[in-house]
Amino acid sequence: MEKFTVELLVENKYGVLNRITALYAKRGYNIDSLYVHATEDASLSRMLITSTGDDYIRIQMVKQISKLYDVRQVILMTEVKIKI
Amino acid sequence: MKLSGAEIVIRQLEAHGVTTVFGYPGGAVLTLYDELYKASDRIHHVLTAHEQGAAHAADGYARVTGKTGVVIATSGPGATNLVTGIANAYLDSVPMVAITGNVAVPMLGRDSFQEVNIAGITNSIVKHNYVVRDIEELEETLREAFYIASSGRCGPVLVDIPKNIQSEKCEYAGKSPIPATNTPCVFDIAEIADIIARSERPLIYAGGGVIASGAQDKLLELSEKLAAPVGLSLMGLGALSSDYPLNLGLKGMHGGYASNMAAAECDLLIAAGTRFSDRATGDVGEYEKSKTIIHIDIDNAEISKNVSSNIEICGDVKDVLTQLIPKVQAKSHEKWTTRITELVKEQKKQEQGYAVPEAFSPKNIIEAVCNNFDEDTVVATDVGQHQMWTAQYYKLRKPRTLLTSGGLGAMGYGLGAAIGGCFARNKGRTVLITGDGSFGMNLNELATAVTNKLPIVIIILNNQTLGLPYQWQSMFYEQRYSQSIMNRKTDFAALAQAFGARGHRIENLKSLKEVLENLSDGIPTVIDCPIGGDELVLPMIPPGGSIKDMVVGG
Ligand SMILES: Cc1ncc(C[n+]2csc(CCOP(=O)(O)OP(=O)(O)O)c2C)c(N)n1
Repeated sequence: MEKFTVELLVENKYGVLNRITALYAKRGYNIDSLYVHATEDASLSRMLITSTGDDYIRIQMVKQISKLYDVRQVILMTEVKIKI
Repeated sequence: MKLSGAEIVIRQLEAHGVTTVFGYPGGAVLTLYDELYKASDRIHHVLTAHEQGAAHAADGYARVTGKTGVVIATSGPGATNLVTGIANAYLDSVPMVAITGNVAVPMLGRDSFQEVNIAGITNSIVKHNYVVRDIEELEETLREAFYIASSGRCGPVLVDIPKNIQSEKCEYAGKSPIPATNTPCVFDIAEIADIIARSERPLIYAGGGVIASGAQDKLLELSEKLAAPVGLSLMGLGALSSDYPLNLGLKGMHGGYASNMAAAECDLLIAAGTRFSDRATGDVGEYEKSKTIIHIDIDNAEISKNVSSNIEICGDVKDVLTQLIPKVQAKSHEKWTTRITELVKEQKKQEQGYAVPEAFSPKNIIEAVCNNFDEDTVVATDVGQHQMWTAQYYKLRKPRTLLTSGGLGAMGYGLGAAIGGCFARNKGRTVLITGDGSFGMNLNELATAVTNKLPIVIIILNNQTLGLPYQWQSMFYEQRYSQSIMNRKTDFAALAQAFGARGHRIENLKSLKEVLENLSDGIPTVIDCPIGGDELVLPMIPPGGSIKDMVVGG
């Protein structure tokens, strides 16, 4: 089990966050952190959701979230370590 | 042109070719019902006895016609009564648009009279839902709703329209429906053709997706070309005629001996339009063993969700098979074919053990009913043993003739679904095979069937028990029949007559045939068939078990 983060671009509307978190709840996956902010495009917002899971969970979550009509884009983030 | 919200709903229904809707009025939809009244020459509204019945009717109508079913209910209790029907459509991928009224926008969120947040309640059982808070959004919302319900993997969409939105006016653009997009699926045809060429024991496993995409002819073609037997999921029944020799019928927990054995022994499983429900696979680890699995499904999230496949093809089944079939070589494999013949023979032998000839047993009753009707007759079921017996013994010959609650397994589905199916067949003869328990959950809809002169034939396999729980208790709970023996005194024949329907209690096959041969038109007939309480559905693979655990009995 590893931490994984998905980055979403979603419609900036009421009820959208509810639909997304409901998918996590349905499968019983805890959300470790959640970050939502508006974008330059007023009709869209961006979300970063970090959760814990194996390959199966990661792939399933991305596929399930992609099915939501309010979601425009889903990116599964991989950890990139930058040396300074 | 400025139109009211209610008028826009009517225009959109018409634009989407809707001619029949099911529903029940109430305060929050009276404005819409007023427009339905004016449009009654174009849109036929069927009033049911309960909103759940209306939702199941819209579902049954959609399954038979392939068109999107429409159900309308008022706010609060009207909306909550739809929930089981919506969940049912969701789990069986049935295209449906559910329209609910709600309190006026300024009253939302105040726990107003008959207010519920139906969008919140249905979130996890719809493809999508909307609360229309602005009249300007109504037209586009309805276009999207119909598009979403019927595109990709079909399913229900709910549109909640507050009362004031129904009476407010706005400019109506009159746009036509959003066209379906069919981008052909791209996949490695050569690789798959090669895997198929190398296989010695191929089996096709087909589900409801084959029927949804209209791929039944392609399925037959592939099976013939590969000399591959076919097992079906509950939702896939009807995708191939039961007369076709390579159709092994239902696979899974109560599937036939032959189809389950074939699934265990095959070296290649081509799964088309199915989601590998736990009822179909049992122990997944055992199920996946020593075979290559090719999974074709339109919903990417189903691929490798329940069973991990070696080859994943996300696309419309008909499109995929159409591309694939010309590229695969015709096959013959004598050993496998001989083995399948053996398995089918063995299954026939077992089935003879389940029913004494001429006994008033589930198998004989269902076969007698089946033999009495033609191949276009729609047959609905409720949920329980009678449903599994119907799946096993009712010889379906065409797709879209079976209405059964697969994914949700909702008792009470049957009569509503039969009503929808009957309307879909222009009020032609329709059959419902139900149990005494399930019928008790929806029999209020007899009123709907009588009012609308629907010639539905209702066969009650009356075992005085909640048969399926009773069977599990007899097999897995040491015969502790906790609350599964009903011991009711209901006289179903008299009950039918009280509703204005025909009613009979029948105790042998000869009288059953007589009644079936002398059915009246334009009126439902209830036929109460008392059967033994200890009849089992066999074979059975216990939940979570594998082929090794199959109980054959007999
Ligand atoms: C709404 C609902 N409640 C409970 C169940 C659990 N359940 C499954 S089958 C069954 C019994 C069905 O009895 P009946 O309709 O008489 O059919 P039989 O099994 O006797 O043929 C029950 C209670 C269910 N599937 N649906």
